Amino acid sequence: MTDLATPVLDVRNLTKHFPIRRGVLRRVVGNVEAVTDVSFKVAPGETLAVVGESGCGKSTTGRALLRLIEPTSGQVMLDGADVTNLSRNALRQARRRMQIIFQDPYGSLNPRMTVREALSEPLLLHGVATPANLDAKVAEVLRLCGLSKFHAERYPHEFSGGQRQRVGIARALATRPRLIVCDEPVSALDVSVQAQIVNLLQDIQRELGIAYVFISHDLAVVRHIANRVAVMYLGRIVEEAAAKDLFASPRHPYTRSLIAAAPRPDPNVKRERIAVEGDAPSAMAPPSGCSFHPRCPIAVERCKVERPVLRQAGTSTVACHLAESQDAHMTGAVDKHHLNQTLIRRLEMLQAARQKSRDTA
Amino acid sequence: MSTIETAATAIQPIEEDAPRRLVWWKALLADRAAAIALIVLLIIVAGSVFAPLIAPHNPFTSSRSVMVPPVWAERGSWEHILGTDGQGRDIFSRILYGTRLTLIIGVVAVGLGGVLGSLLGLLSAFYKSIDPYMMRLMDMLLSFPAILLGLALVAVFGAGAVPVIIALAISTVPDCARIARSIAVGVMEQEFIEAGRAVGLSDGQLFRRYLLRNCISSIMIFISLRFGQVILIGAALSFLGLGASPPTAELGMMAAQGRDYLLFAPHIAVIPSVMIFIIVLAANITGDALRDVLDPRIRN
Repeated sequence: MTDLATPVLDVRNLTKHFPIRRGVLRRVVGNVEAVTDVSFKVAPGETLAVVGESGCGKSTTGRALLRLIEPTSGQVMLDGADVTNLSRNALRQARRRMQIIFQDPYGSLNPRMTVREALSEPLLLHGVATPANLDAKVAEVLRLCGLSKFHAERYPHEFSGGQRQRVGIARALATRPRLIVCDEPVSALDVSVQAQIVNLLQDIQRELGIAYVFISHDLAVVRHIANRVAVMYLGRIVEEAAAKDLFASPRHPYTRSLIAAAPRPDPNVKRERIAVEGDAPSAMAPPSGCSFHPRCPIAVERCKVERPVLRQAGTSTVACHLAESQDAHMTGAVDKHHLNQTLIRRLEMLQAARQKSRDTA
Repeated sequence: MSTIETAATAIQPIEEDAPRRLVWWKALLADRAAAIALIVLLIIVAGSVFAPLIAPHNPFTSSRSVMVPPVWAERGSWEHILGTDGQGRDIFSRILYGTRLTLIIGVVAVGLGGVLGSLLGLLSAFYKSIDPYMMRLMDMLLSFPAILLGLALVAVFGAGAVPVIIALAISTVPDCARIARSIAVGVMEQEFIEAGRAVGLSDGQLFRRYLLRNCISSIMIFISLRFGQVILIGAALSFLGLGASPPTAELGMMAAQGRDYLLFAPHIAVIPSVMIFIIVLAANITGDALRDVLDPRIRN
């Protein structure tokens, strides 16, 4: 299923540092190291989830690989073609093959454009439709996203959040892209609507074979939709593994605490204390050695001086000096033990909704 | 196509009635104050356009019947509906011609200054690299009061409508640029701008369809409010004798000439002043209502 020999997307050493300018002369006094040296591949029809706490650079990664933000360095290959050094015009044409779905369905649609206008834009721009068959094409894309033809004449403010997100998905799908970056596509929605949208994304992927880079902090959704997961911490990938392996046996201490820290509805339930303490350190002045060491429960002297590189450990790729020793330490504490009750319940809900939509189809 | 349909059936489309939306001008007329203001404006514009046909007398020739009061006052006559001024010229006819010149000065000045200023402001928000330079330039322009600018231009080019228009247009540019920029900066921060880029739009398309379309109604309301101000400043310049030179009729100038007779024939100064007041008020109300109907979020 995951054919990484011929990936749709191949990101190599992607880096984005934002300069900090101060004073009257706007001198560069430092850098925010939002994304550093991030590499991953996504196969056709595959979903790679990028998870991490807010500010870890996951959205910046998504935008930099689409060149909505110009990356500082690194290379992005889409179907074997280099995207990073395309001219402005070539890049605009390449956007046909790579699209994005935004988190905020309220802010990401132009309020002065009807749905028809919003959808005709990519259709006409990339020659997918001609003015003659535009109406039919718009209707087709709307239907694909569970909307009707009459929705085309409406403005975004006339829709609910879930419907708006469908319009956002329809816009991204209009040109039948090879890759869609989903930047927290369901985090702004009600839990009940989340399941619908997640299912819609899965249906579309199955029909059209689109690859997703699914940026999220919601582990239940990630577990449900992703084939592989990359965990980011302070601008770097610290662990990457198949979704079921990552949730069954997380190897990086950060991944473990992330899974344990997923929110729970009952504050009285005793919490398993592997939650990380303190705030994430500043990306302006990342810690020496392993950037996680100030918060790591198992850090040793070596972690403070030497940055661990990503390396193979079992079925995962991990950037931790202690991945192997942890492996022994963690045996037995696998699978559902890590997933707290809320996570499990939400996962079950998503799966039930999926089953239901399969039955009706 | 059939493969696509299976995905679509997975989620049932939500059936609703298609919305009925008012055409914007219907919505505009539904607002009573705006409807009245619009009608008043139309009458004024029509009156000034067809002034040569409507005017009962030649507005520039004097007659022996000086300082005749308007028809509703004692000693008034239907011969001169709004009376005559100190030189015996028919005020009604002079109002028609005067409004014409006042409107032309206002519309041309606001049009030139508003379009140029808004464009500079929008560009400044769109291309952030030119923003600091553009805004410092606007600060420089902003430090010239329109009246002073008018005085300077008249000193160079001599009195007349053209220097007044130029002065008013220049004084409109920085205000419009600042307002347009501040509106546009807010719009540029919205995610749909990035979404437009992601779709693959060129700068020109993004500027027109995303930025301009989301700023135009707010800029319009500012320009229409500014129109009232410009009419006022224009009238003030004429009042000071900088604008149109006699015997040309201009509302500000008419008010200035009536000033000498204010005690025994107040109508000569009051009638053009009231006319200015009505134009400014009607323009402001219309502009305000126009904003409401042009914004689809307020419209329904």
